[in-house]
Amino acid sequence: MHLDEDQVQRLLHGELSPPAERSAREHIAGCDDCRRRLSAAEREENEVHALLRVVDYAPPEIRAETITARAQAADPAARARDAAWPRLAAGFLLVVGIAGVAYAVPGSPVRAWVHEIVQRMGVRPEPSGASRGPGGSPAVSGIAVLPERRLLILFKSDQAEGGARVSLTDDPEVRVEAPVGAATFASGADRLLIDNEGSSATFEIRIPRSATWVEIRVGGDRVFLKDGSRVTTTGSMSVGGYVLRLTPPGS
Amino acid sequence: MEPDGTPSFHERFVDLFDAHFQRIYRYLHRLSGERELAADAAQEAFVRLYRRGSLPDSPEAWLISVAMNLLRNAASTQRRRLRLLTPARGENVLSDPPPSPEQAMDAEDTRRQVRAALDRMPDRERRMLLLRAEGYSYRDIATALRLNEGSVGVLLARARRAFREIYKETFGAP
Repeated sequence: MHLDEDQVQRLLHGELSPPAERSAREHIAGCDDCRRRLSAAEREENEVHALLRVVDYAPPEIRAETITARAQAADPAARARDAAWPRLAAGFLLVVGIAGVAYAVPGSPVRAWVHEIVQRMGVRPEPSGASRGPGGSPAVSGIAVLPERRLLILFKSDQAEGGARVSLTDDPEVRVEAPVGAATFASGADRLLIDNEGSSATFEIRIPRSATWVEIRVGGDRVFLKDGSRVTTTGSMSVGGYVLRLTPPGS
Repeated sequence: MEPDGTPSFHERFVDLFDAHFQRIYRYLHRLSGERELAADAAQEAFVRLYRRGSLPDSPEAWLISVAMNLLRNAASTQRRRLRLLTPARGENVLSDPPPSPEQAMDAEDTRRQVRAALDRMPDRERRMLLLRAEGYSYRDIATALRLNEGSVGVLLARARRAFREIYKETFGAP
């Protein structure tokens, strides 16, 4: 059994698994035909790469520091926030951990203090989607995926209030964001599932311009489709994108 | 370095930049034939990665995708201005020794021929060929071009064949 074209290519490019490569090399050693095909592929590739080098010019002399300085100059607030975030998260987890241990130790007075504080405050659950981040701004949660050829974004439920804002971006990922607690997100091979039951949030959806096919459905109804560069939607256009109601069309 | 001994985001970014900036620039330049656009798009892709604040699962594929989008957008903007411009001439490959006038003409001819052959290739095959020429793995190529990884080998062979045939038909044997 001769090597097929894919095996020859993978052997040439070092893309076979070690056992598959061993097996392919054993075969090549005893098969003139496959050995010739591998040599021919290698020779052709070398010729092509030599030709490609002809069009090259020396790359610009850019250093990583130049890029990081540009990034910080362009968005210093975001960079400072990004740099601080891991430390803040680590500190928060440490505090939560210590408090948890103190609460769990048998005979700890912390447990009684917590109960007393809770009773005095009369704590009630937060309304759906109303979680707040530091500084009073809504904290967001979401999901990001690299779209394959087709991607379906599926909202499980329709919403009487809120909706979705869709924008097209140069980033490679599809991103869906909403206030924390407004929905739960899951992703499959070709779909994003958003469980938004009971939510009244507005979802921010960013779709790469390069994405070939992205559909947004509410239940079984299509409310948005990007097919290549063509967009059709039941929503309306706004500055920077589209505004969708998460209700079935015509309702 | 982070407290647990792992490299910080900044250190990982610098490593990534050092390993990939030139490759991505070269890829974009071969793809478009536009040095300025390629340099701008490659830099901007890294700026965006740094501003992102964390590395994606496949940083190489992410960078290629973002850089290609930036290049495409910049190219479409520039196309509208191109009618007012004339092609750049007399540029030298900096890594070569100074050529004689005859050698320079030959090199320029070959460059134009290779460029023309690349421009005549189907877009997907051209991108595959150029990404592989920069040594990107089948996985990175598949992710960046949204292909099934299992089909990359055969498609690469087809792309290489297409380039050679176009070049040969138009300009004779490579």
